[in-house]
Amino acid sequence: MSLLKPFSKLPELNTANILLVENEEQFQQILAETIVLLKKNVNVNVRLARSLPLPIENEKFRPRIDLVVFIINLTSELSYQSAEVSLKFLDPDYFLGKVCFLVTNARNASVPPERLISVRKLVASLHCPLLFAEDQMTDGVNTAAHRLLAILKVTSGHVPMATGLYLSSLTRCTVPSDIDQQNFD
Amino acid sequence: MADAMEEPRKDVLVHLNMLEMKANHLAVKQQEVWQVKVGREEQLNATLQALIIKRDQLKAELKANTSLQNLRTLLDKTNAPCERDVEDMENGSENSQTLLLMARHTQLKDLLHAHHLIGGYNVLLTKGKGVCVSIATAYEGLYLETYNLEINLQCKIRISRHNIPPFIPLETMVKQGNMQTDIRAFLDTLSQYLNAYVGRRQQLHLVKEIHNSVQVMESNALCTILVLMFTVPGEKARAALCTLEYNDHTQCLPTRVLIESEDTALASSPQWKKDQALLLETPVHRALVTLKKKGSIA
Amino acid sequence: MDQSMKRTLQRLIRRIPFQLLKTTLSKWAHILEEDLLLLDFTQPKCLFTENLLSLCEGKGTTVKHITELEMIYIIENPNQVMWRAFQLLDAREDAPSIELTQFKEQFKAHLTELNSHVSIKIKKHTDEAVWIRIAWGDNFTKPNHLKPTYAVHHLQTPYVFVTGLTVKHKPLLNQALVLTTRYGSIKDASLSGRNLVAIRDLLMRQYQQVFPTKHPKPLQEKNHVPTNPNIEKEQIENTENRLQMACEAFGDGTLPQLQKAVYQLETKFRDNSNRTLTGSDEPFRGVVEFTSTNLLESLRHAVSSGIASTPVTPLLSSITQKGRNYFVVTDKGV
Repeated sequence: MSLLKPFSKLPELNTANILLVENEEQFQQILAETIVLLKKNVNVNVRLARSLPLPIENEKFRPRIDLVVFIINLTSELSYQSAEVSLKFLDPDYFLGKVCFLVTNARNASVPPERLISVRKLVASLHCPLLFAEDQMTDGVNTAAHRLLAILKVTSGHVPMATGLYLSSLTRCTVPSDIDQQNFD
Repeated sequence: MADAMEEPRKDVLVHLNMLEMKANHLAVKQQEVWQVKVGREEQLNATLQALIIKRDQLKAELKANTSLQNLRTLLDKTNAPCERDVEDMENGSENSQTLLLMARHTQLKDLLHAHHLIGGYNVLLTKGKGVCVSIATAYEGLYLETYNLEINLQCKIRISRHNIPPFIPLETMVKQGNMQTDIRAFLDTLSQYLNAYVGRRQQLHLVKEIHNSVQVMESNALCTILVLMFTVPGEKARAALCTLEYNDHTQCLPTRVLIESEDTALASSPQWKKDQALLLETPVHRALVTLKKKGSIA
Repeated sequence: MDQSMKRTLQRLIRRIPFQLLKTTLSKWAHILEEDLLLLDFTQPKCLFTENLLSLCEGKGTTVKHITELEMIYIIENPNQVMWRAFQLLDAREDAPSIELTQFKEQFKAHLTELNSHVSIKIKKHTDEAVWIRIAWGDNFTKPNHLKPTYAVHHLQTPYVFVTGLTVKHKPLLNQALVLTTRYGSIKDASLSGRNLVAIRDLLMRQYQQVFPTKHPKPLQEKNHVPTNPNIEKEQIENTENRLQMACEAFGDGTLPQLQKAVYQLETKFRDNSNRTLTGSDEPFRGVVEFTSTNLLESLRHAVSSGIASTPVTPLLSSITQKGRNYFVVTDKGV
């Protein structure tokens, strides 16, 4: 079992690296292409993975990863489970502001409401931000890319006076106390 | 220094301090230069070591390869070298056994490749369970389809997947041939069948392509029956139906040739007897060319 | 033209979609080209049918002509009905040598021997398929042309594709087929679908199969996008491997269109808390059905995108390997 560690490698000049983890490998590809094409003043590398752990062979060439994004497709139970399993292969240091979750298909009518609640609970327990994305439209993908890039800039240290930890303490997901109550009703 | 000259009345201590700083600075610089020198030397040394190791490795590889080559030539010559020969050559090297095996392996591989090149089968290990045999077919020097068989070797030999057309009686061949014990014979029969089928199909294709005046009235999937219509020239040009039957499915040549025409005398004419023999002996598309030249058909 | 014939023709014209009417009728040898000019194809269908009926009345149309038109339509558009595949077993020695005229004569002879009140029509289509149309009757009724049975057989192959066959007539057709094709027996091949070409290709293995080779050609990546140097896939080998496995299991390129696959599970119910079910002698049955407009394509995508696990389970790969889409799964396996 190899943990992915945030500080085991030296950062490169003017570079930020983001890792997108998605079980289905559909949305991550589109998102990666959008992120790369966005205008920005740092060099952004996107790495795509289906799940963690990452293959050991690539260990040598893999740069320091500044942000890990788990993409969860709410219509698929498998997508959630896969993300949950992958979390175990991440060094605890990452959870100090270098992980975020991106949920797609949340508005789909076929999604059972419990699934969103369980995702929110999971994310809240890890003190991470939770983003929602519309993956069917270009606009939605663009917005998601912009938001991820903004977070990435902070976590990779390209924004003076701000850190990932600082940002995530402001943006982290919280579960309203009445969710359980609603369930109960 | 210039500062010191300009303000000679300044405190002597200040001057000393400055000098000390200069000296320190110089020392640091010197140290750096020295370090760079040493570093460079170390670097060069490391490269040297790496190169030496690489050279040794290449030398060893070269040696192994030459002895392998020698063994190969020996193997190719004698077909089964005695142990002593090998011992002699290798001067009792520990690796002789391995080398021998390696040589044998390359030899077999080359044989398989050669076999594949002359139209045999190509055998490939699949992931885990069995082998995939591909049978290339050709007709008159032209490569046509390649058929594949995936054979499962676990406990009992069994064909798990293939792309052989359904009108080739594969199952009958499996039942009749002794596939469990003699897979080679089975593959030979199959290959013969496939080559014959592809050959007949290619002939039919050529007939359609080359001979516009000859009409193909009927044929079937296995290409074992071919009914052609052509005109026989004479005072009264007549249409004739020629039926070619390929009853031996492992052959590209017909086993029976019949002709039907309004002119009943045609079938028994000596001219036709000759043509019939020609059709029985040469592939149909070439026979038709000859017939046309002779003027038997228009 | 009697009443029943009129009804048959009316029904047939109603079945043919408007845009196909002209092409279908122009292939009908019974109607000449100048007759076709008299017909107005812009008319509503009921009016058009009336005109056609009166035209046919004048030409002395018989049942034979109408069945001819029906066959033209069905042969050109075989995908309107459900086809079932049957497999002939135990070929006799002389099975591969059968040819068309023999087949025609013998089939007619064998079937009329079993039931003399049938109307049979056999036609050879260009792609070497023999189309058989049978209208069934019995001792008291004339052959019913409204509900004919169609059977498609490719000579020298052990497969027959049938549509519109009732349980009553099945043994008759089966026997006639077995005798004519010189086989030992016939069985249901557990394959059905709306697309005749697809089920034929699947059984006759005429789709593009992928085999492991010594010189692997790079698999064509579907909707390939130019990769940006800044994007890197961590598990790229994995993806390629899955694609290869998916193609080996289901084939490459366009796949035969199957609409569904059915798995019927028959097992013994084991749960100590439920006495009635556990104790019963009847097996416990469950049915799993996969449906899609192109099932094989969907399954291949599911495997190559990683939704389904690899290696592909034999249950799914059996669809192509065995050419079936109906499976009964018992305790001892498929």
